[in-house]
Amino acid sequence: MADPARIKTEDTPERTTSATEEHPKSEEPATVAAAEKPADENKESSSQDQPKQEVKLDSVAGEDEEGGTSGQPPSKRLKVEPEKKKEKRHKVDEDEIQKMQVLVSSFSEEQLNRYEMYRRSAFPKAAIKRLIQSITGSSVSQNVVIAMSGISKVFAGEIVEEALDVCEKWGDTPPLQPKHMREAVRRLKSRDQIPNTKYKNILFP
Amino acid sequence: MKPSVFSRMADEEDETGFDEELEDGSGGVDVGHGKRKRLFSKELRCMMYGFGDDQNPYTESVDILEDLVIEFITEMTHKAMSIGRQGRVQVEDIVFLIRKDPRKFARVKDLLTMNEELKRARKAFDEANYGS
Repeated sequence: MADPARIKTEDTPERTTSATEEHPKSEEPATVAAAEKPADENKESSSQDQPKQEVKLDSVAGEDEEGGTSGQPPSKRLKVEPEKKKEKRHKVDEDEIQKMQVLVSSFSEEQLNRYEMYRRSAFPKAAIKRLIQSITGSSVSQNVVIAMSGISKVFAGEIVEEALDVCEKWGDTPPLQPKHMREAVRRLKSRDQIPNTKYKNILFP
Repeated sequence: MKPSVFSRMADEEDETGFDEELEDGSGGVDVGHGKRKRLFSKELRCMMYGFGDDQNPYTESVDILEDLVIEFITEMTHKAMSIGRQGRVQVEDIVFLIRKDPRKFARVKDLLTMNEELKRARKAFDEANYGS
């Protein structure tokens, strides 16, 4: 499996160098990156942590934090490491939480509004469930709906961010216009970030 | 039908020809979903503001974004139906499809982990209430 942790930290510097008003914009990758950061630190520290690393990234709804205490550790070797990793992860989490608190406390009113919208906005689960069920023809579990609405929000965010880049590059101002959105889609398509199984590439029509 | 979908990208006269494009559906981005009722207009407006757009985004931009999101969900659903257990959409399939995209993968992982924690917390809370 590709290593999201490694790829993610390369992504983050590009995001944080964007325009000043984009604080909320740069937070999202920072938050995501921080969640991956403990994974990354562990990777750099010792190669012995590597197998643990893969386990942690693989488990989607993992109970790995309980490894040393209530759960049954699969092998004795892993008994010591969950605690070390848990400490490191907690420390990084606390650091991150503190930094976020400092950041959010220094927001202006407009930034606070925007941040609140960013965190709270979400797609309605009922509509997403209806949409998926109308495509599959059978019912889907709740986790699928949760996952799909989460990914869709990230997808919408990617498009809006790219469109804002385009808008800035062309010397326009927000609100975004359809031409910015379309150019953003064209760029994302060339980076293969937009799935498309409709049109086959006919080289010579 | 538009001869070349991608030749319109830097058009400055998009605004005037705009209404016609709306009927075709999102001008060249996809084949267009026509007269479907708008599902996510309100939520998408808040989302666009949260992601950095103006407080009142243009309705046409919101429409374009909604069509894109619906197309995205449709594509993912179709792909998920074709892998793993055929004809069904399961979480593992979605996670597999998303594996190459670091942002989405991390987000799904976080969401599902948080959901499990919340379920556990709720269950523990209910059991505590039942006991006392």
